[in-house]
Amino acid sequence: MDEFDDKEIGRLLRLKKFEQPPPGYFENFLHEFHRRQRDELLRQPLWKIAVERAQDFMLRLNVARLASYPFAAAAVLVCAAVLSLRMYQTPQAPSVAQIQSAVPVQSDWNLASEVPGVMVTQPRPAFNANLSTHRKTAPPRYVLDSMPVSYESTLRF
Amino acid sequence: MVRWLTLLFFAFALSARGQEQSSDSISREVKQLFDRCARSVVKIHGRDEHSDLSGTGFFIDPTGTIYTAYSVGGEATNFSVEFGGKKFPARQMVADLRSGIAMLKIDSASPALPIGKSEQLTVAAPVVMIGYPLDLPETPNFGMIAGFDRKYLDRYLTTTHLRANLATQRGEAGAPLLNMKGEVVGIVVSSLENSSSCYALPIEAAEKIRSDFVRFGEVRHGWIGGHLAEAVEEINGSRAEMTEVLENTPAANFGLQAGDILLRVGRKEIHQPDDIIDASFFLTAGDIVPITVMRGGQKLTFNVRAQFHPAAQHLPMLASPGNQALMLDLTKAPDNTP
Repeated sequence: MDEFDDKEIGRLLRLKKFEQPPPGYFENFLHEFHRRQRDELLRQPLWKIAVERAQDFMLRLNVARLASYPFAAAAVLVCAAVLSLRMYQTPQAPSVAQIQSAVPVQSDWNLASEVPGVMVTQPRPAFNANLSTHRKTAPPRYVLDSMPVSYESTLRF
Repeated sequence: MVRWLTLLFFAFALSARGQEQSSDSISREVKQLFDRCARSVVKIHGRDEHSDLSGTGFFIDPTGTIYTAYSVGGEATNFSVEFGGKKFPARQMVADLRSGIAMLKIDSASPALPIGKSEQLTVAAPVVMIGYPLDLPETPNFGMIAGFDRKYLDRYLTTTHLRANLATQRGEAGAPLLNMKGEVVGIVVSSLENSSSCYALPIEAAEKIRSDFVRFGEVRHGWIGGHLAEAVEEINGSRAEMTEVLENTPAANFGLQAGDILLRVGRKEIHQPDDIIDASFFLTAGDIVPITVMRGGQKLTFNVRAQFHPAAQHLPMLASPGNQALMLDLTKAPDNTP
């Protein structure tokens, strides 16, 4: 400190008057403030933050008020209901079931009949949307029809 | 008495030993066949509008051409084929709903299964299937031919199908049905009611599709334009009577008439109305087919040029690059196909 006398300090203060913040300082001020706040917060270990938040929550909830007999009984009942529901819930069937190819029989077709504009002659059986899923993680549909896809409606040639 | 008992004991022992040897022999034969053929059987992956799918297929030539079932390779895209521990991208060449098969191709040399003759099979002939059930590795399955069916659950099949007593599982559609020489005699296209047996398209029918594709670049199911029913009495060994000749069809244009008794269509002899199923399947649009009939006590032969089958005229038989439907250009049909 000895190297700065009053005169020197006065000069520095005068210079300070002319100091300008870097461009964008005021625009980014709020963002920068929040960033620094987060950094400060994260210096603590996560478990400590979690404990603090839990404490805050419990204080707001006023746990002491809930410690009465009716509240405890209600909580036990709710827990029991949830657990029993989970235990007796049957697992969902896998999504790889067999494709049913129940193609309807066209018994009255002849050459005089109107030909539909769509580009199929024998309607492909519609997929059951429940049998498949679009999720990438799902297993593939292992294919084997339950009857041949081809058929003739009458003895014509 | 003791002598008889001793003889009886030896007879039982020999019989048991014989049975054991027989089952050993079958097991050995199936194992050898499996070891020889399994490398030509592939697992096919694809994706259709609903989900990823997985089935079986097999190589039929050394250039990577694969036969599979329509339900595997017919309506999906983004095909890949697992073979020799590697995964290859595959493209669709043919998807034919009428026969129930599809053809894919990978750009790689491949082993291939020899083509056999399903016509030589008889009921109770032993057959082996090699497929990929679920997410399991290639699996052999041994059974026998249970029948040759033209009709199932009140529906006529497009051609005679082989019914085999083989318990099938999901993922095995498109698997090869092999005779005990290791030759392909059919392609598994579906299971039956309780999956304890399956239907296979005879390999000759699949080869007809491949032949059309090689000749014309598309599948050409043929059509004559007549309806058949069982005649009251048998004439010249046939009960197949033409009950109706449809207007503006080859049958009408080339002179066939209602009341004619069909004796032969192409190379197929006709004895019953059902016989027309196979004769009809093997017709090729544009080809001339000789049809022999009995009319008024006279045997007549007509050379009839088959048209496109109505079930095929608006059907995307040929796969386009994006598996989109392509209209078949009827004007391209040559006057005389070989």
